[in-house]
Amino acid sequence: MNVQTQTHTAPLASGVKLAIMQKRFDGVTRKMANTLLRTARSGVINTARDFSCALVTADCELLTAADSYPIHVIGGADLMARAMLDIHPDLKRGDAFLHNSPYHGNSHAADHTILVPVFDDDDVHRFTVVAKAHQADCGNSLPTTYMGNARDVYEEGALIFPAVKVQSDYTDNRDIINMCMMRIRVPEQWRGDYLAMLGAARIGEREIMRMGAELGWEALSEHARQWFDMTERQMVEIISTIASGSARGTCTHDPLPGTPAGGIPANADVTVDAANGMITVDLTDNIDCLPVGVNLSHACARTAALVGVLNSLPRPVTPNAGSLRRIEVKLRENCCVGIPRHPHSTSVATTNLGDRVSNAVQLAMAAIDPKVGMAEGGAALPPAAGVISGHDPRNGHAFVNEVILAAGGGPGTPVEDGWLSLFCMGNAGMPFYDSVEIDEMLHPMMIETRKILTDSEGAGAHRGAPGIVTAFRPIDCDFELGFCSDGTVNPSLGTRGGGDARPARQYLESDAGEITEMTTSEHVHVRRDQRVVSMTNGGGGYGDALTRDPHRVARDVEEGWISPARARDVYRVALTPDGVVDEAATAALRAG
Amino acid sequence: MRMSIDVGGTFTDLMVDEPGRAATMFKSPTTYPDPIGGILGAIELAAQARGVGVEALLGETEILFHSTTRAINAVITGNAARTALLATEGHPDILLIREGGRTDPFNYRVPYPAPYIPRALTFEVPGRIWADGRVHKPLDEAAVLAIIAELKANKVEAVAVALIWSIVNPAHEERVAELLEEHLPGVPYTLSHRLNPTVREYRRTSSCAIDASLKPIMSDYLRTLKARLEGRGLKGQIFAVTSQGGLVDVADLAERPILALNSGPAMAPVAGRFFAEAEGARTAIVTDAGGTTYDVSLVREGALPWTRETWLGPIYQGNLTGFPSVDVKSVGAGGGSIARVDAAGLLHVGPESAGSTPGPVCYGRGGTRPTVTDAAVVLGYIDPAFFLGGQMSLGREAAREAIAREVAGPLGIGVEEAALSVLDLATESMVHAIEDITVKQGIDPEETAMIGGGGAAGINAVLIARRLRCDTVIFPDVGAALSAAGAMMSELTTEFARTAFMKTTAFDREKANAIIAELAAQAQGFFAKAGPHARDKRIDFSIEGRYPSQVWEIDVPLRGDGFAREADVAALIADFHARHTELFSFRDDGDAIEIMSWRALARCRLSDPTSIRLAQEGAVADSTRRPMYFRETGLTEAPAYRLEHMAEGEEIAGPAIVDSNFTTIVVNPGARAVRRPGGHLVVRSAA
Repeated sequence: MNVQTQTHTAPLASGVKLAIMQKRFDGVTRKMANTLLRTARSGVINTARDFSCALVTADCELLTAADSYPIHVIGGADLMARAMLDIHPDLKRGDAFLHNSPYHGNSHAADHTILVPVFDDDDVHRFTVVAKAHQADCGNSLPTTYMGNARDVYEEGALIFPAVKVQSDYTDNRDIINMCMMRIRVPEQWRGDYLAMLGAARIGEREIMRMGAELGWEALSEHARQWFDMTERQMVEIISTIASGSARGTCTHDPLPGTPAGGIPANADVTVDAANGMITVDLTDNIDCLPVGVNLSHACARTAALVGVLNSLPRPVTPNAGSLRRIEVKLRENCCVGIPRHPHSTSVATTNLGDRVSNAVQLAMAAIDPKVGMAEGGAALPPAAGVISGHDPRNGHAFVNEVILAAGGGPGTPVEDGWLSLFCMGNAGMPFYDSVEIDEMLHPMMIETRKILTDSEGAGAHRGAPGIVTAFRPIDCDFELGFCSDGTVNPSLGTRGGGDARPARQYLESDAGEITEMTTSEHVHVRRDQRVVSMTNGGGGYGDALTRDPHRVARDVEEGWISPARARDVYRVALTPDGVVDEAATAALRAG
Repeated sequence: MRMSIDVGGTFTDLMVDEPGRAATMFKSPTTYPDPIGGILGAIELAAQARGVGVEALLGETEILFHSTTRAINAVITGNAARTALLATEGHPDILLIREGGRTDPFNYRVPYPAPYIPRALTFEVPGRIWADGRVHKPLDEAAVLAIIAELKANKVEAVAVALIWSIVNPAHEERVAELLEEHLPGVPYTLSHRLNPTVREYRRTSSCAIDASLKPIMSDYLRTLKARLEGRGLKGQIFAVTSQGGLVDVADLAERPILALNSGPAMAPVAGRFFAEAEGARTAIVTDAGGTTYDVSLVREGALPWTRETWLGPIYQGNLTGFPSVDVKSVGAGGGSIARVDAAGLLHVGPESAGSTPGPVCYGRGGTRPTVTDAAVVLGYIDPAFFLGGQMSLGREAAREAIAREVAGPLGIGVEEAALSVLDLATESMVHAIEDITVKQGIDPEETAMIGGGGAAGINAVLIARRLRCDTVIFPDVGAALSAAGAMMSELTTEFARTAFMKTTAFDREKANAIIAELAAQAQGFFAKAGPHARDKRIDFSIEGRYPSQVWEIDVPLRGDGFAREADVAALIADFHARHTELFSFRDDGDAIEIMSWRALARCRLSDPTSIRLAQEGAVADSTRRPMYFRETGLTEAPAYRLEHMAEGEEIAGPAIVDSNFTTIVVNPGARAVRRPGGHLVVRSAA
């Protein structure tokens, strides 16, 4: 296909109208997001912002997911809307659906989603609004939303709602609310979050109704078609600037009980066809579903591959049904990074193995063309982002909540160092990190330490971000902690000569000095005389450390990100006693 | 007589107002590095215009208002003081990690931002207080003394002390202050709990760090300003404008310079509110359209908009001031915003700006990339021969060529259509900014009036109003200096807050009334300090509340000044539910409400709220006709009026242009405009 010809066949002046109307659609999701953040009851939503909002067309094509976590909705909002249509062909105005089934297009069971179909004045279904939020609890068999070791969905234990109608005529089906209140821990917190999600979805519905009344429903639908074509052309143009080629990237999740001893490899076979503007990610050459909770859902497998590609492009592209036409993702049934077969558990689908898939794609892209791709990013869900639960001695109330204190560091890229507060690739650094004071106010805990770990970065021409060390402990009580991390056995990898990051490490340390090491995925009892120490995994480096700008190295030393010894031994940069680059000595070090 | 001085990056604006006389405006170039020269330059211009000396003019001045971009510029250009941070042991990276968050999820080509104070100047203080105020680990004074020795060795010029939970138990911060006074005398410091007693350590630490870093430059400057003006005859009080849209005595500002950080933009809504009320509008969108940014804010029910989240720089990448301020949003869309078409055929306008150098193509200073101003020239809206009252002539042909080459050609459309498209897209960015501040608060722009301030406001204000379905646009005659005018109109304000948890299911009226009485007493003390000019004293009480386990509160005003009867409590509960529904589309009737804090906003005026207006030149029917281009009409001959020559009550119909020395107002086809007795122009957009 000739890109220039393609570009000039469309009515280009419509670029103005398209840009304008798309801003209004983006504005709808932003209004929804604001409602969710400001009104939710659990910290994971109202402080860490673990939620997303999206709009899809009546034929289930993703129109916008502005300001959303990539892993939540990029490749799943359409699948969820499709499941709603398949299960409920008789949609009506006023309906709302509660959907969390990973076997029907959702990410994982802890992400409760409210879907609301939006109708025009003639009762024609035009759009579906999607509000998704990670719950503090979802009724699992243990008080955590990440059941990494669950052998199947039964051991996982969450209530599963495959697009269940939770409202008719704008009124709750109390039966469903009652079921949740009986199964989900701290039920009032869940009910408040449900109200917030529903409020957000209804705000989205109201806004689209207003747009339909003002601009005409046909114009809205026509906009979506044209917008998809426009962003597809942008995507073709960007892909045309990348070198064509194929490569395999492999990243490996740490072993868990019941997995291969070396861990769970994720292979991504990536092909860039610049002339035809297509990128293909083939995930079919991977092992079958495993008896653990880290299998990917269909939505997460597809999205993780898409995220790897989108992260790797030389210019950012807005993901929607149009631009995504240019990325083909091949998945296999009953594959741990494909389409899971019920009852395999996908409890931890949004982070761990999903990140490994995105990272594998980034490494493959970097192998194909040195101007694109990235190294591997640090792992999510260490104890510093675990779920704590217990009883607060200050008021006797039960609590359960995911704290977001720290997680993985960002990978080096062809042009820049890694982003420190990445969290993980699938969340793209968008979560808010908890305030120490807010956490201590809401939970009987003390956060003793949170600071970056010197010398933990993947070295490189553009280095990865370092890891973060966090130490926290219960106050006047014991509590439980659940987490399912990664990166302890297999740290994030560097690429194109860049170094690997330091592995994650986590342990309990008693006041008497006794240290109990913890593995990648655990559910532990933390005594009042113990602290949890969580050292997270930073990002891998991009390019040879010996080609790093010596002045960047000097600044890293001055700011304590790396030690003078590491500057000398790994980056081969000599500094004067004042910390200034000694150019001659550096040249000699690097030549040797 | 009152005087208002606004020291901007380029010009120092001076407005002089005397009861019974028309206000006068003067502009003098801002001088560097000593801005007081520019201030005296502007005062000299004013004195000359009156035929008196500077001493005589200053001698008559009872009150002088002062706002400056000095503080914000110091922060932006990295010229604030060399400042050290003393943080709690184990938490040296509060300013580095911030609160996380990231925009643009797929763009990893943005560098991670440096902390406001480098790690190399951050010191960990051993000692820990927990959430309930208990001392978990005592302060290690020997370690503090060792840190102070390092501060000396590092030649720090200011110190920020921000310890965890100092708001619950300030003992450790207070003791560190004593040690600093004793062992590091003369180096200014800020304690976080005194400056900004708010929970969330990042916000408190960030405001503390910014404040401390401003103390050396702002304290000296304010002292010198006062001394030099008094040396030239000033006897009246000097009040400084704050980011909160209020005024404080300059001596207070020297103690807390962060208060003045964002003082310029904060004054636009103050002036905007005045003109909105003149037209009977209680809720107004105030816009200030400059060369590179478009600032918008919302006056709601006569109240200025507040935010606790003010970012210096981009959201999540800059630094949070952690301090409330007038909520002014800026978008990169102004007269200088550059229009371009990307490889896929999509039109973009801004955020890149041509600034003042080289400026728009039509300025003829070497700019080659077309801007919004060029589009307005191409469409015949701006008269190339009468830009800024004729001070500068513009190149229409160059603008036309640039639009043809950069926009019309790539899009395959005509030049006029291309210019209209540029305005449309700029309009949409501006509409988006306005929707961001209105709809988020549950305000329908349809029910508001819009204030068009700033030199570039008139080009597309009617288009913006129509998109928002807002019928009334008000253009103040002092619009081009909205901030200086705003300072004259603003009130002396201070907010008093008391953090005290109370659940409505266990509402204690006695305790609530005691809190209200305590806040009222503080407000009375503030009124007493305001001096003999204080009048129109008012205290507005409100609470910040939420449903249980929400963490973001909403403000709900009290209907009265206490809870004499149970019915007053019921009224507050009803108001909370209503407000929550208004903002977020739902309420939770079954649930209790948690009141987190109680607030009293004390306000008074320093003089009568007289109208600030410029001198009139008398009605002259001198409209001309010139060619211009509208989407509805195509190319047409339409009249152009002079604002200063329009008679009060004179109504004109679009298409038309109203020119003044400061701005050009486009009255689009179908719209109507009328000159009002206050001197401002009101346009009915016919939305």
